[in-house]
Amino acid sequence: MIDLNMTFFAQILNFLILVAILRALCYKPVVRMIKAREDKIAESLEKADADVAAAEELKAKYQAQLAEARQQAQAITDKAEKVASQLKEDKLQETKREVEQMKESARAEIQRDQERAQDQIRAQVVALSIQAAGKIVSDKMTADADAEEVGKFIDTLDKDKIGDLSC
Amino acid sequence: MHEIGVRETVQLAGFTFNWETLEMTWLTMAIVILIAFLATRSLSLVPRGWQMVVELIIGWLHGQIDAMMGKSGRFLAPFIVSLFMFLLVGNWIGLVPTLSSPTNDLNTTLALALTVIVMVHFLGVYKKGFHYLAHFFQPTPVFVVINIIEEIAKPITLACRLFGNILAGEILIIVLLMLMPIWMPIPAVCWLAFSIFIGGVQAVIFTMLSMAYLANAVKEDTEE
Repeated sequence: MIDLNMTFFAQILNFLILVAILRALCYKPVVRMIKAREDKIAESLEKADADVAAAEELKAKYQAQLAEARQQAQAITDKAEKVASQLKEDKLQETKREVEQMKESARAEIQRDQERAQDQIRAQVVALSIQAAGKIVSDKMTADADAEEVGKFIDTLDKDKIGDLSC
Repeated sequence: MHEIGVRETVQLAGFTFNWETLEMTWLTMAIVILIAFLATRSLSLVPRGWQMVVELIIGWLHGQIDAMMGKSGRFLAPFIVSLFMFLLVGNWIGLVPTLSSPTNDLNTTLALALTVIVMVHFLGVYKKGFHYLAHFFQPTPVFVVINIIEEIAKPITLACRLFGNILAGEILIIVLLMLMPIWMPIPAVCWLAFSIFIGGVQAVIFTMLSMAYLANAVKEDTEE
């Protein structure tokens, strides 16, 4: 069972041959591949870090642009509101002026109509008075006397009720 | 029937060789080289199949070497990896019917153990000069005899532990198969499974102890 012989030296030789073969065939290529993988992973991690940094930078840039755009939008809105308010005020003033002008115009028209009506009334009153007086005193008075009588009559009329009808 | 402890020998140039042990060693070497070939024939960044297995073994042993010897011990990695793979396959090959482990022969285990111990002393002197020999006189010169006995005991214990475990495992499998009828193979199967575990454990123990011995020689004094 325990018989040491030249197998001992043969086994040493066998094992050293195996070490040499495995070193060349297996160990070196596998270690090279492990190193390549580690390098690849390190490179990927570095790239990922760089991508994250770039993304953060881009995000900050977009956020700044967004804030600026919001400010601009706010400014435009404020300006539009201000212009609208000014337009409204201007329109209101213009409308007020037009209304005032229309009132003035209407007031003048009324005045004119009133005066025209007074003139017509006065003329009709004179004509009717002459006609009535003529019938009553046609024989006794001349035309000039009639006119003078009629004028006196009219002067006695209440000025507040029929206005000023002076001839 | 396999006769336990009796090995076929051949005479070559007047020297005696255990032929079965050599055959099994070459078979083990062929299997290990085949595994290495399968693992490296199409290496890819994403490991698969045998590449993954071999990378796991190398990665684990690199970790152990770094922990025991530091990065300066990495040059011993091919030796350690070869030792572990040879022992693992050699221990398991004896579990196949009609085959036997090369490690059930003391010639094999002693050859491996002495290779390790010779490397230890050679590297010790190479790395530290003759200052290395001073450790035989530590902690006091009185201990030189004990230290020398310890150094002699190291390869013997290393070799006998592996030889004994593997041989005992194989003997027990043969005995169980002889005792149990063919229709009741449960004890033999259980022992076979246990032997697979033992074969792995013995390979790990031999490799780890070898690394520990080598670490003492390779590590700088300041690192110790």
